[in-house]
Amino acid sequence: MEIIKNFGLNPVLLAAQVINFLIVFYVLKRFLYKPILSMLKARDKTIKDGLRQAEEARLLLEKTAQRERETLKKAQNEARALLDETRKQRDELIVLAEQEAKKQAERILSDARSQISQETREAEKRLSAHISDLAIQLLNQSVGDLVGKEQQEVVMQQALKKIKRKAD
Amino acid sequence: MTEFAPEILLRLGPLPVTNTLVNTIFVDGVIFAGVWYLQKHIQTIPGVFQNIVEIVTETFYDLTESVAGKNTAKIFPYFMSFFLFILIANWSGLIPGFSSVGFFVGSGSERHLVPFLRSATSDLNLTLGLSLISLVATHALSINTIGLKEYLSRYFSLNPINLFVGLLEIISEITKVISLSFRLFGNILAGEVVLATIASLFAFLFPIPFMLLEVIVGLVQSLIFAMLTMVFMSILMTPHHGGHEAEEVIAK
Repeated sequence: MEIIKNFGLNPVLLAAQVINFLIVFYVLKRFLYKPILSMLKARDKTIKDGLRQAEEARLLLEKTAQRERETLKKAQNEARALLDETRKQRDELIVLAEQEAKKQAERILSDARSQISQETREAEKRLSAHISDLAIQLLNQSVGDLVGKEQQEVVMQQALKKIKRKAD
Repeated sequence: MTEFAPEILLRLGPLPVTNTLVNTIFVDGVIFAGVWYLQKHIQTIPGVFQNIVEIVTETFYDLTESVAGKNTAKIFPYFMSFFLFILIANWSGLIPGFSSVGFFVGSGSERHLVPFLRSATSDLNLTLGLSLISLVATHALSINTIGLKEYLSRYFSLNPINLFVGLLEIISEITKVISLSFRLFGNILAGEVVLATIASLFAFLFPIPFMLLEVIVGLVQSLIFAMLTMVFMSILMTPHHGGHEAEEVIAK
């Protein structure tokens, strides 16, 4: 009891201190820890959400860039293939055109030749006919004075036959 | 010379209003003012004060979580409250004017100064009260968490060895209260005595290193009280057979 008295222990004061601390504890728990911890949790959640969204955006960006690269590569390949195909077609067309032109030239040449030969023949025929006419006229003029009318006819007929034969 | 017992300033019925009780009310005022200010100014983007409170709260919550694990939400308010209350009480005793402004009583050689304010934690009534709250809260949380049967199995058993161990546990619970209360009381009272002695030898500059030392002592003592309470709570909230796991957690 002497020790208790020396230390100033007093049940009423002890109870007052206990009640006082319990009030402080309640106030701190209700009005300090609760709002602060809620705010910290909310902020932590916001930060985590932000980081998650940033990570998602980064992955999406990476995926998009990858897709862009693939699309570009595919387009390049397609363009190259198209270019190759076009070149091939061009070469084929050139070859075909050359062949066609060659054929056409040959045909034109052949036509021209046949036309020339035909015209030559016709000219020859006309020339032959003309010569025949001239020959007959010449013969008429030269033979008419020497032989009679009948003989003249026979000579003429023979000469015509010879001329015709030659002309043919 | 500083007495063990706090000085009574006046009496309100059966309640003796001591200088330590006045200091307790001052500590309450500081805490309530801080809480009120924070309540009024709390915002998503924190100011300086809110930032400091958030840092301290988060640090202590993480510390509790590292020891108590899933029981953190139950233990944290006690841990933080003990720490804040004791820290402010310890440091308030270092404010100039505390323990030195008062009135004289007695006459002749019996004449001595009765200060209006004295560090609340240099009063055994407060430290014992806090220890008792710590003890009761620890056991209440233990029953609430692990159940009455599991709780009682820690102290009572049909096995004589376990029964003896249980008896030692009961004694250790009593010693916990004594050690918690007297450690805090003794350290703070000793600090006050040291400061009073040094100040009486040389009043200027010389006491400053000792005051800085008392700042550290005040911080350390409040942390020890709060940490021990947290550890005791954590141990008692772990089922008896999972004691080793709890010890491992604490060791970590």
